[in-house]
Amino acid sequence: MNRSNPKAKTRGAEAQGETYVLRLFMADNEPNSKQARENLEQLQETYLKMPHKKEIVDVLEDFQAALENNVLVTPCLILVSPLPRVTVFGNLSNTERVVTALRLM
Amino acid sequence: MAKRTTNEKTKSPATKAPQLPKVGTGIIGLDDVLHGGFPTGRTTLVSGGPGTGKTIIGMEFLYRSAVNGEPGIFVTFEERAEALRKNTLSLGWDLAPLEKDGKFFLFGAHVDPQAAISGDFNVKGLLAIVEGKAKSMGARRIVIDAVDVLMRIFDDPVRERNELYALHDWLNDHEMTTILTLKTSAGGDTASRYEFLDYMADCLIQLDHRVVEQVLTRRMRVIKYRGSSYIHKEHPFVIADNGVNIIPVSTVELQHKALGPKVSTGHPRLDTMLDGGYRRAACVLLSGTPGTGKTTLANTFVAAACERGEKVLYINFEESGEAMVSGMLSPGIDLRPALRDGKLRLMTAAPEAMGAEEHLFQALRAIEAFQPDHVVVEAMSSCNRMGTKQAAYEYLIRLVNACKEKGLMMILTNQTAGFKNENEITGMDMSSIIDTVIFLRLIDIGGEINRMLMILKSRGQKSSNQYREFLITDKGIDVRDVYVGGGGVLTGAARQEQAAKEVLDARLKRLEIELREHNIKQKRAEMEAEIARRKAELETAEAELKALQLDEGLVQEGRDIRGRMRDEDANSLRLKERVRQHKERGTGRKEGAK
Repeated sequence: MNRSNPKAKTRGAEAQGETYVLRLFMADNEPNSKQARENLEQLQETYLKMPHKKEIVDVLEDFQAALENNVLVTPCLILVSPLPRVTVFGNLSNTERVVTALRLM
Repeated sequence: MAKRTTNEKTKSPATKAPQLPKVGTGIIGLDDVLHGGFPTGRTTLVSGGPGTGKTIIGMEFLYRSAVNGEPGIFVTFEERAEALRKNTLSLGWDLAPLEKDGKFFLFGAHVDPQAAISGDFNVKGLLAIVEGKAKSMGARRIVIDAVDVLMRIFDDPVRERNELYALHDWLNDHEMTTILTLKTSAGGDTASRYEFLDYMADCLIQLDHRVVEQVLTRRMRVIKYRGSSYIHKEHPFVIADNGVNIIPVSTVELQHKALGPKVSTGHPRLDTMLDGGYRRAACVLLSGTPGTGKTTLANTFVAAACERGEKVLYINFEESGEAMVSGMLSPGIDLRPALRDGKLRLMTAAPEAMGAEEHLFQALRAIEAFQPDHVVVEAMSSCNRMGTKQAAYEYLIRLVNACKEKGLMMILTNQTAGFKNENEITGMDMSSIIDTVIFLRLIDIGGEINRMLMILKSRGQKSSNQYREFLITDKGIDVRDVYVGGGGVLTGAARQEQAAKEVLDARLKRLEIELREHNIKQKRAEMEAEIARRKAELETAEAELKALQLDEGLVQEGRDIRGRMRDEDANSLRLKERVRQHKERGTGRKEGAK
């Protein structure tokens, strides 16, 4: 499931020695998916000061990844690490809600 | 019982008109109801309350497809995949090898209830997974179980609707033969909330279960089927250890076999009364008040049939098999050899143990497995305890129809409360499908209870319409003539008394004749004796007369002699006188004495 190898970069806020990994599942060039991508980029700039890893999966190309992550809806953002795992559905337009869910506040 | 038709990809529809292509459902009876199966490449919506069997219908469809080499995808939103695998295994369906072979894909699509929602989204993830899997497996069949659970994440009826339409369009575009299941609760919001699904789907099946008189009854009904005919009725169904069994409510076409050749009743006298016996493919009803010997009469047939090598299935709702077998020993009917040889199979159940359709299913399955020649049901009257009278009626009529279609002879026993209610005797308004009715009753004559037997009806054969005395001896049953006289029908001791009286009468008559004959003889003898006596008297009289005459003769003779002698004396005197006179007169004339 963990497709990225942690590079031993620590996250400043919690300093737990774990890589902060976000995975965004989207469906090609759907409007919601495009928006989610843009919104996530903004979030990264504003809230993700620490080193982190971002993966973007197109479910139409990699259904196996969607299956493994139980992704039924898109767009879908998953905080893979650190645990606990968090899932956010939607185009991430409600920044506050996303930030709260991802424990970035 | 309906056959499974899962093997064919598309089954030729029951009707002749060209119809849309269909897929065999693999579910017993469902193809009959749907006139062929689910619509190929289209969506069938199965809705019903919790526990009505939606999941299992979907699962059976896919499992049987997979077993027959047709791959399928099962998406469950409600149950965990592992739990579903286990449940499925309990029905004897092992998904593991099918999953390994890529014939079955079970996707536990768990929607994270903790997921945060931020902005708009759709079900593309699910579609991507399904599409990817379908492509890699070559699957054309899919079951989406509890689609309402997935839709709940949208938390908005309009979006739900849009997403379901999108899902439906996608499935149609990909020509997936789809079963969508949907939970509904009567009166709940789901009914109206997902009403649009009813319009969206091409085939709509509603499941329902209710408890009537403490008995669970499952029903299914097809609400619509676009472009196809189907049976517009509520069909009972059961979930048994072999899966779902739908028992289509009989259509108008009855395919009863004609009554077959005669089958001995097991008693020669009864055979005679029925002009040879019961008939194959007939339904024989043995009606009677309690204790009249219905079971004994039925088992007389059973024992005889088994001895001839025929097979009998005995469905008993009244007593356990053991109790019946040992009970039958007292009238000298030994069912044990038949049981040992596998000619007789006893099936016992408490009527209230399950619903009528479950009972029916069990019976039909036993018939299918055992292939009997004859079926006995003991007793029609106890079937009422399966729930409602209607349920019992359906159970019986469908069992009888099934037997008739197979050409099996059937004996139903029926306990009646009295002997006045003709309807009760001839059985629950089923008389149209009952061919022979034998009525047993008790009769009280002269302080004694006796059994009586009468053939009330016997279709397609001559039969005696007379009451007979029905006896249960320790050597089986016996049927005897009854005394029919001015006082009506007599049986038992009264009959015996009557018979004895007749014997006595006859003897008396004989005696009287003898007596009279004797009298005449005697009279004749007397007469003859009299004659003899008279004759003797006469003879005596004659003899006396003779003697007298003789006497008289002798006396006369003597007198004559004496007279003569006197005459001679006189003559001599006269002579002397005459001589003297002559002498005196001178003429010598002589004169006789007389």
